[in-house]
Amino acid sequence: MKLWTRLLCACRRRSPWIFHMNSGSCNGCDIELIASLTPRYDAEQLGVLLQGSPRHADILCVTGPVTHTAAPAIQTVYQQVCGPKAVVAIGSCPASTNVFIDSRVLVGPLDKHIPVDVFVPGCPPRPDAIVRGIAAAANILAERRDSAASAESTASSATTPEEAAL
Amino acid sequence: MKILGLLWKNLRSGVATLRFPAAPPMTSNYRGLVQFDPARCTGCAMCRFRCTARAITFTAAGKQFTWAYNPGQCTFCGRCVDGCKDHALSQDSNCPPIYVSAGSLRTSYTLQRKTPPPKTQPAPAPANNPSGETL
Amino acid sequence: MNLLTALARFLVFPGLLFAIPAAWFVLWLERKSVALLQQRIGPPFGQPFFDFVKLMGKSTPQRPGVNGIMMRAWPLIAVSASAGAVGLLPVLPLHGGFQGDLILLLALMEIPAICMIVAGFSSRSLFGEIGSAREATLLVSYNLVFLLAAVSIAVSQHSFRLESLAGAPATWWRYLGLIAILICLPAKLHVNPFSLPNAEQEIYSGPMVEYAGFELALWQLSHGLEWIAGVGLVATLAIPPSSHVWLDIAGVLGLGLILVLVISIIAAATARIAIDTTVRFYWQCTIAFAVVAISATLLMRLRS
Repeated sequence: MKLWTRLLCACRRRSPWIFHMNSGSCNGCDIELIASLTPRYDAEQLGVLLQGSPRHADILCVTGPVTHTAAPAIQTVYQQVCGPKAVVAIGSCPASTNVFIDSRVLVGPLDKHIPVDVFVPGCPPRPDAIVRGIAAAANILAERRDSAASAESTASSATTPEEAAL
Repeated sequence: MKILGLLWKNLRSGVATLRFPAAPPMTSNYRGLVQFDPARCTGCAMCRFRCTARAITFTAAGKQFTWAYNPGQCTFCGRCVDGCKDHALSQDSNCPPIYVSAGSLRTSYTLQRKTPPPKTQPAPAPANNPSGETL
Repeated sequence: MNLLTALARFLVFPGLLFAIPAAWFVLWLERKSVALLQQRIGPPFGQPFFDFVKLMGKSTPQRPGVNGIMMRAWPLIAVSASAGAVGLLPVLPLHGGFQGDLILLLALMEIPAICMIVAGFSSRSLFGEIGSAREATLLVSYNLVFLLAAVSIAVSQHSFRLESLAGAPATWWRYLGLIAILICLPAKLHVNPFSLPNAEQEIYSGPMVEYAGFELALWQLSHGLEWIAGVGLVATLAIPPSSHVWLDIAGVLGLGLILVLVISIIAAATARIAIDTTVRFYWQCTIAFAVVAISATLLMRLRS
């Protein structure tokens, strides 16, 4: 079984599939995330694929300071991502709400709602920094050595992000 | 059909990707992490006033003051650097590093207030010239 | 074809043991060639294998109100059907086969698509229903051309047996039918310009939205096996038989690789087409190929 665990962890490092979620950001970080998939930075050389469904992804990339309407959506989507999972907070907004610190529509930095594994600072961060952040999250997944049985089981609801945000 | 010509040109030009972990070169004007020079700071707290994101905190107690900076809060606008009359702040031209625990890039410095430099004798005021002669 | 031959063809060659690494290779080749055409590096070799192993290690979500057994069964049925389709390919002629195995091959190639449709509906998700409806419409649109072309190939050789089709010298009616099948292949394999059902950003992966873990790995595998079956069907029927077995195999493999590259170039060169344009494309434009092929073969039969 040890060989299987080592193979599994090596494959987790080499195949980080991401799901991108915007919790109220200005879209600057979203644009840089998409830029990291373009030919110049090409996150696919690390095996990164942008997935359409949270159930397909390992790494949840969140941008934006968390607005109070986005907070339950973030939590629902986090529960829909199947374990083992990692969260990357892209930009300084999810780390600390940045310049929107006094806003009344925000409910605080991202790590109040979901556990965050990697923070990528910048406003917006450079695409190569985002790729480094995703690679660091993939390494964290590989080193955590979760087995499939002990990985966090997801919540019971089958709602989708669209319905959760309504 | 032009797309096929474009794809052929792409294939001929080869790969344009930067192989991980290579990064594009940084210019010297890049606004990265704020660097603090404790030797030059006089504790005017103008940077805290000008900061848009409240990344710089300044607490003063008597002869001491503490200057703290949280890059996680920073938006790298550079207003603090522009507003510092002592030129104690500058921005690093490197990409800010990624980190794994919140607040791990915070820096803080506790400094003593400097005594101001002694005042020199002011130059004598020029005498009034009632005739208004221009020199 | 006795049971032992059938099991050998299903499990060993060209069945599961050979087809699964070949499927991973073809999936990698498609992603890599699309990346190179876009001046990107693309995934490293073996990426589909890494994806498969990683997906095996993910936990499965609990989906209350959804029949878990059926949802888990669809990807398994899809993989078995496409592996069976690959096993029926006449890669080594004169090695078994039975009368009518072309029809069985076509039926087995349809099953993964039908499984995808039912899986989307059974996931009880809004996006699954939309994706499944699109996939069903796509199925109806290209199957007309696909099946007419396959029938015309069979009628031109007076046989529905794959071994005799692969063994007989090719006629130009057969190549017309093969071109029609080739035009249907991007729709069957869900690549651009007909990649509607698993449109990622539009409908959250469509029918696959609720699948995760090992089931998703099986769906990827069935997708790879569909590539092998589709490309292999065209390649084995297009290469005329020669005296040497190894020359035949080399020809089939070479033509298969060329077809994979051609489909990848088409995928890189086009954007996703909406469903009504797709149906119009197959029913108005491409139907001409299939109609010409089948009428030519029927006329030939009437004359002879």
